[in-house]
Amino acid sequence: MGDIYPSLLQCAIVAAAFKVLLFPAYRSTDFEVHRNWLAITHSLPLWEWYYEKTSEWTLDYPPFFAYFEWVLSHVARLADPAMLKVYNLEYDSWQTIYFQRLTVIIMELLLVYALQMFVDSAQGASKRAAQAAAISILLSPGLLIIDHIHFQYNGCMYGILIASLVLARQKSSLLLSGLVFAALLCMKHIYLYLAPAYFVFLLRAYCLSPKSIFRIQFLNCLKLGGGIAAILGTAFGPFALKGQIPQIMSRLFPFSRGLCHAYWAPNVWAMYSFVDRVLILVAPRIGLPVKEGALQSVTRGLVGDTAFAVLPDITPRMCFALTLVFQAIPLLKLFFQPTWDNFIGTVTLCGFASFLFGWHVHEKAVLLVIIPFSLIALKDRRHLSAFRPLAVAGHVSLFPLLFTPAEFPIKTVYTVLWLILFLMVFDRLAPASSRARFFLFDRFSTLYITVSIPLIVYCSLMHGVVFGKSYEFLPLMFTSSYSAIGVVGSWVGFMVVYFTS
Amino acid sequence: MAGPSPSPHKPRRKAKQRAGNATGSLSSASSVETSVRTPSFPLAAFLWPARGSVSQWELLPLILMTAGLFRWAAGLWGYSGFEKPPMFGDYEAQRHWMEITTQLPISQWYFHDLQWWGLDYPPLTAYHSWLCGKVGSLIDPSWFALFSSRGIHDPTLKIFMRATVVVSEYLIYVPAVVVFVRRFSKLNGVASWPASVALVAILMQPATILIDHVHFQYNTVMLGFVVASMSSMLAGRNLWSAVFFVAALGFKQMALYYALSVFAYLLGSCVFPRINIPRLVSIAAITVASFVILLLPLVVGALYDARRGIDSRPDLDGPRPPLPLFQGLAEYLDTEAFYYPVVEQLVQMVHRVFPFARGLFEDKVANFWCALNVVVKIKNYPPKLLQRGALIATLASILPPNLVLFLRPRKTLLPLAFATTAWGFFLFSYQVHEKSVLLPLMPMTLLLAGNQGLSKNTRAWVGFANILGCWTMFPLLQRVDLVVPYTVLTLLWAYLLGLPPTSISAYTQDGSRSLSQWATLFVHGAFYLAMALWHVLAMSLAPPPDKPDLWVVANVGVGAAGFSLCYLWCLWRLMLEGETLPASWVGRAKTKTQ
Repeated sequence: MGDIYPSLLQCAIVAAAFKVLLFPAYRSTDFEVHRNWLAITHSLPLWEWYYEKTSEWTLDYPPFFAYFEWVLSHVARLADPAMLKVYNLEYDSWQTIYFQRLTVIIMELLLVYALQMFVDSAQGASKRAAQAAAISILLSPGLLIIDHIHFQYNGCMYGILIASLVLARQKSSLLLSGLVFAALLCMKHIYLYLAPAYFVFLLRAYCLSPKSIFRIQFLNCLKLGGGIAAILGTAFGPFALKGQIPQIMSRLFPFSRGLCHAYWAPNVWAMYSFVDRVLILVAPRIGLPVKEGALQSVTRGLVGDTAFAVLPDITPRMCFALTLVFQAIPLLKLFFQPTWDNFIGTVTLCGFASFLFGWHVHEKAVLLVIIPFSLIALKDRRHLSAFRPLAVAGHVSLFPLLFTPAEFPIKTVYTVLWLILFLMVFDRLAPASSRARFFLFDRFSTLYITVSIPLIVYCSLMHGVVFGKSYEFLPLMFTSSYSAIGVVGSWVGFMVVYFTS
Repeated sequence: MAGPSPSPHKPRRKAKQRAGNATGSLSSASSVETSVRTPSFPLAAFLWPARGSVSQWELLPLILMTAGLFRWAAGLWGYSGFEKPPMFGDYEAQRHWMEITTQLPISQWYFHDLQWWGLDYPPLTAYHSWLCGKVGSLIDPSWFALFSSRGIHDPTLKIFMRATVVVSEYLIYVPAVVVFVRRFSKLNGVASWPASVALVAILMQPATILIDHVHFQYNTVMLGFVVASMSSMLAGRNLWSAVFFVAALGFKQMALYYALSVFAYLLGSCVFPRINIPRLVSIAAITVASFVILLLPLVVGALYDARRGIDSRPDLDGPRPPLPLFQGLAEYLDTEAFYYPVVEQLVQMVHRVFPFARGLFEDKVANFWCALNVVVKIKNYPPKLLQRGALIATLASILPPNLVLFLRPRKTLLPLAFATTAWGFFLFSYQVHEKSVLLPLMPMTLLLAGNQGLSKNTRAWVGFANILGCWTMFPLLQRVDLVVPYTVLTLLWAYLLGLPPTSISAYTQDGSRSLSQWATLFVHGAFYLAMALWHVLAMSLAPPPDKPDLWVVANVGVGAAGFSLCYLWCLWRLMLEGETLPASWVGRAKTKTQ
């Protein structure tokens, strides 16, 4: 059969052209964060990387990412040596911008490669669907907004994740899949959220015999364990020798931060806060006590440590417990049916659980759900109808990341274009399911998508006209509560699909 | 190709039917693009999934959004004159016009402080500036405050100005092009899928994006009116085409490049196949009426201001200064009469719009005169002689295409005739600016929507003209640090259409290669190599101290030679398709182009 057009490479080239045009666009403090890390890794000895704190943006990614920055810094020296000075805070010469933005685009080639692996691994009729899903990930508005405007290196790391997920498709490359994921964990520890799915899947499919769960394949265990130990050793070994592990851990897991991030991620805690805000108005009438201290944080809106005025406070321990519980449910099914489709489903559900119930979740983490989900969204129409609200909610929830007027048309038009294009294409490509669709879910997603239009209009235009600069938290709260409904709806829907298919 | 075209005027319904027939009978010849199994260039690959089942209305919004995204992203870069005092650049000129039109009485618009970007475009630009200025003043009045706003570079103002360009383009140019492409492709029996491919290629044309959305101007408004005029000709609505063309002229005098073709076509359609006097009279009447409406606000404004006692030149004391042009007129006019302010206003407008006093060419521009200047220092010749020489050369270059169009007023010939005429003007006329290359490029790029428009031959030539056009504007763009958008947009377009420097597939064919294909490959290849080499040299070597303009002059020379080839190719195609060549030539040409 012939190739499918357009090819991934063609899309990548056109997307790269667009991304280069975005060089002068708004960039967040993450740009300075990464510049600072280039400077730290370049000009300081290894032992000081995790202690250096001239800038407030200290190194808080695991060592592989630091090594990666170290390698980049050697090229950066050719572009502009001044960006490699630790004291050169907020340095942003044109060369620095060109260099840093360009590295994001070049590193994204990893994603292109991984997606090509994914398409190649699909067989027969589903190849066309795989190609569409791969292109949708490559052109994802999430990656565009976060990586190429806001500034981060998610593209290449999701590339590694997808490569690892695709490797798990073949029995022969299971080991490699696990090792690649271990390496990914040593680059960015946010992927720990997905680790339970890997653990269960590799345990069942690689370490235990396919015939009986009581027969352990010791050689495989040895290979996997040894490989992971070697990778962890390479990453953390040098620091362990100097006894720096506690310092690194305190950088990687800053539990002192609040429940909700500055911009609320659209998860259950956003809904919880929303209910709390509403209760502040209602509570005096129905006789509920209102904590006075918490009221101050209401008007501030953009707070790090959210205090609840009416509802009980949430502790990190509760978040952790809830996350684990909701991860454990799909893991059980994976343990007994370790197929690749179930594995991707479980990875998605682990992402969902941690995103919805996690402590201090960043809205950028929604990609952790969207990207694995995209790989199986086209399995049939039931999967697709669970994916649809997530695609809308996840991307709309990223809008507050960009608040400058120049980027407003880009984020909205690009996202709307992506949604129209891919929801239309997916609709044509997703095969009918063998099971009946479940009641009213399609209606919910249609209604949900329709509501997004007035919401975006209100948050981006009407609010400014009506209230000016006051009540700035209102649009943020509406956006995240709205998105939270979509994410939760998608989660519930996918749980049902996952357990009934 | 399309066989003898029927009479140019027919009721609309029949025209539609004819187009339908054409689609049927020509489907084997023109649907090559749809029947081949693999897309022959990347842009076709992108629209590949849309063949067949996808309706235009699903595809069109996606195309328009994509084109809009590229325009807006390109607009994030700097504009001409950004932080370049004392005069800044085109951006400041446009902003300044918004300032004077919103702050001053209409009778002073063409007189106000001419040293600081005095208004020198026709009235429709002034009205457009007024509208934009009024809207902008609602957001922030300080952007257009008289005098104090000069040279302002507020980042929000930049966003507003960029938005006015995008909105103006999406209100005028984009709908005109969409309609034109639909009508022109139907007329040529091209299926809707290749027409969509052509639409994307036309909208992504790098030169227009670079000049309007990056460097900053409103050319697409004028170009859009011209496309609308051509589109009306295709639909057989000659009166509308006259109205739109007057609007184009009223927005930017540069539309005069096309004037002779519009005239030739409209006149031709009144003469052939039989003389139709009522049509001629109605076209003339509508044209005059359009001009009257165009000038009416200016005339009424001048009268009203004169009655209120507002002088058009409050800075001058004493007696009225003489008219800048047509001084002989003054003997017959009473300077105190009630109509005199109107005469003064109109004469001043004409004087501002047509700067006869300037030289043959101003900057380095890739036309014939500037290239000739390298060999012979023609600036030393008396200006009268040069003016006459330019007039004769221009007429000589534009008469042949318009004669063809007049004798064969066929709709399918319109883009070719417009392109040839505009190339003639660009190469030989007086006072050409390097940005004027947009004018011949526009109709030439529209050829992509025509018969065999996406074939390798047409794609190679249209692509060659566009890439060469962008390349000749490189010095202009480099001056304001726009190398990156230039590189990205030009290479992207070349890539999408499968053209050098990204691919030579447009010059190769499976199987045997004909002589003309070899010749095209050789000639174009030489030019592409020259362009690449020029970029390398200009980037790595400083010009010798005694010839500081060496690179710019080399650019001009190569550009003028390439544009002359484009002129000749358009003329050749026009004569071929207009069937004005002797049969023996045509036979040979047909075998050559196949």
